[in-house]
Amino acid sequence: MPQTRDLEFRNAAMDVTVAVLHHTEPPRLADAMHKMMGGMPDFFDGDATVLDLGELATIPEHIDWTGILSLFRRFCLRPVAVQNVPPALLEGVRQTNLAILPEGGLRNHPAPAPEPAAAPVQQQLPLTPPPSSGQPATTMIIDRPLRTGQQVYAKYGDIVLLCGSSSGAEIIADGCVHCYGPLRGRVLAGGAGNTNARIFTTNFGPEIVSIGGIYKTFEHGVPDSIAGKPVHVRLVTNESGQKLVIEPLRLN
Amino acid sequence: MSKVVVITSGKGGVGKTTTSAAIASGLALRGHKTAVIDFDVGLRNLDLIMGCERRVVYDFVNVIQGDARLSQALIKDKQCENLYILPASQTRDKDALTEEGVEEVIDQLRQMDFEFIVCDSPAGIEHGAVMALTFADEAIITTNPEVSSVRDSDRIIGILQSKSRRAQNGEEPVVEHLLITRYSPRRVAEGEMLSYKDVQELLRIPLIGVIPESEAVLQASNQGMPAIHLKGSDVAEAYSDVVARFLEEGSREEALAKRPLRFVDYAKPGLIQRIFGGK
Repeated sequence: MPQTRDLEFRNAAMDVTVAVLHHTEPPRLADAMHKMMGGMPDFFDGDATVLDLGELATIPEHIDWTGILSLFRRFCLRPVAVQNVPPALLEGVRQTNLAILPEGGLRNHPAPAPEPAAAPVQQQLPLTPPPSSGQPATTMIIDRPLRTGQQVYAKYGDIVLLCGSSSGAEIIADGCVHCYGPLRGRVLAGGAGNTNARIFTTNFGPEIVSIGGIYKTFEHGVPDSIAGKPVHVRLVTNESGQKLVIEPLRLN
Repeated sequence: MSKVVVITSGKGGVGKTTTSAAIASGLALRGHKTAVIDFDVGLRNLDLIMGCERRVVYDFVNVIQGDARLSQALIKDKQCENLYILPASQTRDKDALTEEGVEEVIDQLRQMDFEFIVCDSPAGIEHGAVMALTFADEAIITTNPEVSSVRDSDRIIGILQSKSRRAQNGEEPVVEHLLITRYSPRRVAEGEMLSYKDVQELLRIPLIGVIPESEAVLQASNQGMPAIHLKGSDVAEAYSDVVARFLEEGSREEALAKRPLRFVDYAKPGLIQRIFGGK
């Protein structure tokens, strides 16, 4: 097709990651991101990111933008815009080169996240990835034990582990995780914010489980009532917020 | 048909070189022509354990770089008829090991009718360790009964399953054996150490043997004698059992049923006979 113009502008929509900041001090954010991403600073693959300032706990007088931007880049996130900027902070944002999105500028805006629970073991991940974009769901089946340092990610689908996983492995599914054998390591279901995803296993023993960004760690070990047993993890939403429920699974 | 066996662990200090020396010697003692290669380029320990450090003229890297022929670099063991050692270079680093070079050496050893080619892997999961396991047909994962060793072993099993030639070519996977070394039944009984059952439960690969912790090992290495030659010691017997099970046809469960684990039970002092009586 002959090109008649040297340059064209087209409209396009893209998936972005929205980072909802509750605080703006870079060290505090760095801590939180380090905890969330564990030893995996490349969890995000250079994703375009919109910083959402609409849920700040307090409006700070000054924001260290250089620190925040370099922190996000360190975790392979590329901030491109900000949204819901409190008027007091607009001047600072203008100096950052980031686009300022109008209110409601993002479609598919994720619902505001509930406040973090008081208990340190159950916290809200402030980063809510965008909902999946209607791709066909495919199930990933792993026939061998998943070892320390190995990582699987089922985009848009479920993961079935037929030989279990070891501590230090990482299992991420946008859908559910089903495990026949010991389930250890970091287990993240509902990766794209799907709060209906669940985790099933015949032998429960992970270091962390998460559904739709709500996670639970087992700092003092998995309770005896569920350790090594068939277990079923789901996310329950009620008036006091969202809560992971871990229950024994009856197999017959 | 030669079999390439890698002795690997991820973690350092768990007994890979001791195990390589003992198993290579054990195979040779049973009449199999065996070569043992030191992949720990830059450190070179195997020749010390095998007691041939004063006879090293050419090394593995010399052969890879074409400065010496393989037959010049192989050192004949002084205790076993059928055993040859290919020492590591002390002056180079692990990058001197190229995949083509290692493959060429292993092919030549195959042509020289070696039945077993034992590869003593360096610690870690970097280039040297990957080179040692690339051409493996079987792997003996050496693990101490403690959590960090177990985790590192788990990691190296994952690497074996992704980076070995067999995995890359989609052939039959590398046969994995779990060998637990430095095992102290007393400390297991006192709850200070993982039991061999715990380790196996965590790693989920078939167990080939348990080697007890023993002061005799240090003595043997200082004398340049593989531990399997320590007549009458529990370590030597445990290694002999491992070699016998390794050579056994059929499943590992059968081999273990035929030759049950020894030196894994703890009897309180006063019943010492029960430990050393071999029952």
